[in-house]
Amino acid sequence: MRILNKMFAGVVAAGIGITATAAFADDIRVGITMRMVSENGQAYGQMMMDEIKGINESGGINGNMIKATLMNDECKSDKGVANANKMVFQEKVHLLIGSSCSSVTLPIVDVTAKAGVPQLVPHSTNSKITQKGSEWIFRVPVSGRYYGGVNAKYVGENIGTKIAYICAADAASVGDCANMEKQMKARFGVEPAYRADVQEKEVDFRSHMQKIKSMDVDGILVAALAETMARALVQSYEAGIGEDVRRIGSSSASNAPVPKIAGDAAKGVFFTAAYAAADQRPIAKLFNEMVKTRYGIHAPDHDFSQAYDLVRIMEIALKNTNFTGSLADDRTAIRDAIANVQGYEGLASGPISFCAAATPQCRDGNRTAVLIGYTKGGENFETEVLARVTMEPDFGLE
Amino acid sequence: MGILSFMADFIDSLAKRHRLLPWLLAYALLLPLPFVLTILFNEYLIDLANRICLFILLAVGLNIVKGFCGQVTVGHIGLYAIGAVTSAVLSLEPGGFGGALGFGWPIWAAIPTAVLVTAFAGLIIGLPSVRLEGAYLALATLGLGESVRIFIAVTPALGSSTGLMMIPAPRIGSFVFDSFTSYYYLVMTAAITGIYFSFSILRSATGRAFQAIREDTIAASVNGINVVKYKLLAFVLSAIYAGLAGALFAHMPPGYLHHNNFTVIEMVTLLLMVVLGGIGNVWGGVIGAIVVAIAYDQTKDLVFYFMDRPIVFQPLVFGLSMVLLVLFMPRGIGGWIEDFQRNRRFVRRSEERLSGTARNP
Repeated sequence: MRILNKMFAGVVAAGIGITATAAFADDIRVGITMRMVSENGQAYGQMMMDEIKGINESGGINGNMIKATLMNDECKSDKGVANANKMVFQEKVHLLIGSSCSSVTLPIVDVTAKAGVPQLVPHSTNSKITQKGSEWIFRVPVSGRYYGGVNAKYVGENIGTKIAYICAADAASVGDCANMEKQMKARFGVEPAYRADVQEKEVDFRSHMQKIKSMDVDGILVAALAETMARALVQSYEAGIGEDVRRIGSSSASNAPVPKIAGDAAKGVFFTAAYAAADQRPIAKLFNEMVKTRYGIHAPDHDFSQAYDLVRIMEIALKNTNFTGSLADDRTAIRDAIANVQGYEGLASGPISFCAAATPQCRDGNRTAVLIGYTKGGENFETEVLARVTMEPDFGLE
Repeated sequence: MGILSFMADFIDSLAKRHRLLPWLLAYALLLPLPFVLTILFNEYLIDLANRICLFILLAVGLNIVKGFCGQVTVGHIGLYAIGAVTSAVLSLEPGGFGGALGFGWPIWAAIPTAVLVTAFAGLIIGLPSVRLEGAYLALATLGLGESVRIFIAVTPALGSSTGLMMIPAPRIGSFVFDSFTSYYYLVMTAAITGIYFSFSILRSATGRAFQAIREDTIAASVNGINVVKYKLLAFVLSAIYAGLAGALFAHMPPGYLHHNNFTVIEMVTLLLMVVLGGIGNVWGGVIGAIVVAIAYDQTKDLVFYFMDRPIVFQPLVFGLSMVLLVLFMPRGIGGWIEDFQRNRRFVRRSEERLSGTARNP
């Protein structure tokens, strides 16, 4: 009887094994929702799809193909949430990637947390994203709380503490402004010499620049999306503010439209980002060349590198996932596999590591920001790396 | 056509017994929809149905001021924003996670208050209609609507750029409306009630006054209609719809609002719904909302590759549809419905005359 029981158990176990294997002779479904409303925005999405295609062409994930669905959320939260719901409940994705904009990622965190779907964030920097306490969220880019600290330290120690702030109304820029302001106060005990809250797509900064000119400041922080920042930089020179007043950019200064539109006004601007095209590592040079050849981009910004790193991290995690065929179990297994990614060295400014706890310390993967300066503006802009700073995991948390 | 005629006759016969019967039947038929959608398709479609119900409320409300009363308003989305933000701020807990303003009101008090606040805002947005008409009124309402969005965008207490987050879902006792299915019953009830009241307004003396103003303001005035009062009333009634839709949108899971949800693009999409459906036709607004929402949803993951570059062509498709609609179907789908109803009435009258049963030969 005991032998029979063992045989029965063996048959059942084999059956389960066969079922599990057979059930997962299937695609791994990945949903991507991103802001695809600009030339670069489209290229980020395209690069992700190309990289996933490359993984499939080289044999997939342990023999399984990745089926990716790309959707445009136009940087709007209602559309992003609708995309996320569609991918989670209709496409039944194993993993969700998104979004580019913090204001879209913030509500999607609640969607994935409730549905139990792992979410990898490609670009959003708002520090609240990982502070919501979801165990399903992982952030590849550097959190805004680290950027603020690095900027404040460099500015206070090398430039001065009398800083004017121009803060655009998009979520990332408001976060960058608030973090910088908080850190300047904490480190040097100073308030902004001048502060202007402007529209996300503001076109006229001249009155602000005239006031700033009269205040004899040490530097101007322009926290805005790329095109808006470029306009502000140009107008700061038109207002007659000299080169001795340093221009500090928010992390979106990394985006190519800034030096292209601002031209000579971009020279001397410095900012913190997660990747420098001036990086001399062979992997960075190869990446720059690939982006130039494939997408015609002169020098990739950190949103390109973060999208690339995210696909590599996803590949590592998926390869370490033991798929069972049960969607809920597979989603959990992917989440745990991502949480086990440690010391990933890719294009990012520093190693990316995650861990199991649903805390910002565990889920803000990259803690290293790189300080970059533009040495030349225009179409063929050039940059230099000024410093690379790694912050403590709990830096900037209340 | 045969089925449509049969259905129309059946609805007419029900309405003759009691005017609420067709509505109760429609409500009863829509009750099992979430379960049907889940069994036949998937849960996501319930979420889509919820959004469609909100669009219906918005489109039907816009139709009151634009379709019934003929006032060219482009500020409706601003009223939607006021309803959403007011209800969210009133119901958020003070000192909550997002750092925005919060009063911790019960949701069932926050929603009606938001509707009242929006109605008052509707009165203000309607004020230019007393002096302005046509394109000038459109410009004035566009400015007012957009200024609401900008005000939200630059006011940290209202969420500013980070948005209002963790807005609570409605609850009755321990039952929380935080799933697609439970929320469906809230928004579907609101949509059906909204459509019913829209018809009631259209068939009332107020509705006839609106239509008189739409056809000729001076003639309406000469006939004793208080044009200013009725114009403002149209804006207020329309705002009540927008306020309710906004409040329901704010509390819909995941409970997040951002000023980017209320841009001119959203207003144009809303106009597309009303124009496609047919200006001045209640069912037109409903059908327009359904068609546009489904079309938008089905085309959003379609990416066209040109020289290996992805092109998201959805905005182009929507823009072209708007132009083609205005050119070739100016009365929208609602125009077809009106033609159908008119033909049906004509055929019936003719049949009655031929058989000698007409009440007024």
